[in-house]
Amino acid sequence: MSVLELREVYRTHGKGETAVHALRGVTLAVAPGEFVAVMGPSGSGKSTLLNLAGGLDAPTRGEVVVEGSVLGGLNRKQLAAVRRRRVGYVFQDLNLLPSLTAAENVALPLELDGMSLRKTRRHAIAALEEVGLADLALRFPDEMSGGQQQRVAIARALVGDRRLVLADEPTGALDSQTGEAVLKLLRARVDAGAAGVLVTHEARHAAWADRVVFLRDGEIVDTSGPLVQPEELLHNVPGVRA
Amino acid sequence: MSVKHGLLALLERGSRYGYQLRAEFEQATGGTWPLNIGQVYTTLARLERDGLVHALPESDGGQRPYEITDDGRVELTLWFATPISPADRPRDELAIKLALALTTPGVDVRAVVQTQRTATMRLLQEYTRLKGGAERPGDLAWRLVLDAMIFRAEAEVRWLDHCESSLARYAHIHPIPAAGGVSDDLAPAETTRETTKR
Ligand SMILES: Nc1ncnc2c1ncn2[C@@H]1O[C@H](COP(=O)(O)OP(=O)(O)OP(=O)(O)O)[C@@H](O)[C@H]1O
Ligand SMILES: [Mg+2]
Repeated sequence: MSVLELREVYRTHGKGETAVHALRGVTLAVAPGEFVAVMGPSGSGKSTLLNLAGGLDAPTRGEVVVEGSVLGGLNRKQLAAVRRRRVGYVFQDLNLLPSLTAAENVALPLELDGMSLRKTRRHAIAALEEVGLADLALRFPDEMSGGQQQRVAIARALVGDRRLVLADEPTGALDSQTGEAVLKLLRARVDAGAAGVLVTHEARHAAWADRVVFLRDGEIVDTSGPLVQPEELLHNVPGVRA
Repeated sequence: MSVKHGLLALLERGSRYGYQLRAEFEQATGGTWPLNIGQVYTTLARLERDGLVHALPESDGGQRPYEITDDGRVELTLWFATPISPADRPRDELAIKLALALTTPGVDVRAVVQTQRTATMRLLQEYTRLKGGAERPGDLAWRLVLDAMIFRAEAEVRWLDHCESSLARYAHIHPIPAAGGVSDDLAPAETTRETTKR
């Protein structure tokens, strides 16, 4: 069963003459262990797609299904629970709370879920360690560089056991090595059984995905998935032994 | 890059036989540039003619090792010091193809761009997966070669993105004529004429 499913999803902002059709009939399924990248020009609907997938926004038409629950059929409390427990996000604008330290920011979703303070702290430190920031756990966001803040946001998305990880341009402020480390992290999380959706402008980062979906004017125009299995691929490259 | 400079670089490490050179060349390029032994010997002959290497006496096994000369070292130093000129043939072909697509009536340029981007993206995915598998420190040379291919493919995708947005802006100003149809919009037709005149 898919962790995430979008079924013929439309999202229109406004009405009549001035209506903006941000998404127009998008259908997409992401299985456990599958990593999908979404690319497309600015304004093509990438963030809209991600917000709908995470239940932060509701479709004008069509259905969004997360682990079997149709989000449109949930009440507010149920929806909030799905968002807290199942979904990890990295937003395009980072959304760290300025009055909380890095560790507190990361621990927040777990705390909201009623986990004990000691436990949330342990998980938060582990998640910060994963992104190489254990040393900065007690710093506030405005005491960190842009790239460090971005990694805190990623730690917050990965903390605990999220089945669906959504990331909107998570590598924006990172240099190429750190950016790659973040991609490896997302990839590892997906390989451990989560479903991942990554929005990015960078082809090099999208290339970590199993499938790359191209959006244009709110529609999927193309999908690129690898055609061959890694083992076959190795046989095809001269001089490389599988 | 030329095989010539590759062989000189290998000979700088010490004298080598043709077969050794071939094996080490392939190893150094991560198997992305297979050579046949004939190529190695013709290149060695040319290097010897130009005084950049010279042949040593045959070994008991009938193998003839080569060593680099002082002139060869100068050539090699020069090569390392000189930037590579951007004579990337496949990319040129792609640019020409897109330019032609743009000025050939009835061709959906956006589709040409998209087809190329999907293909390049797929390559990029495959390189990335190969890279994921290479983690031993000894694989550094191989990873460098892969990285070079990855960044080059990425540049191509970016360039295609750029083409697409230019096209979108262009189509906004001058609607592109439909397949095989005659357009009453003169602008694209004029462009066609201009381009063919050159
Ligand atoms: N609240 C809103 N009201 C009206 N239009 C909106 C709203 N949110 C988004 N849009 C429009 O919907 C379209 C898709 O926006 P979206 O943010 O999904 O684009 P994007 O692909 O993420 O772009 P970028 O790469 O710039 O982040 C755009 O035309 C945008 O202007
Ligand atoms: Mg966006």
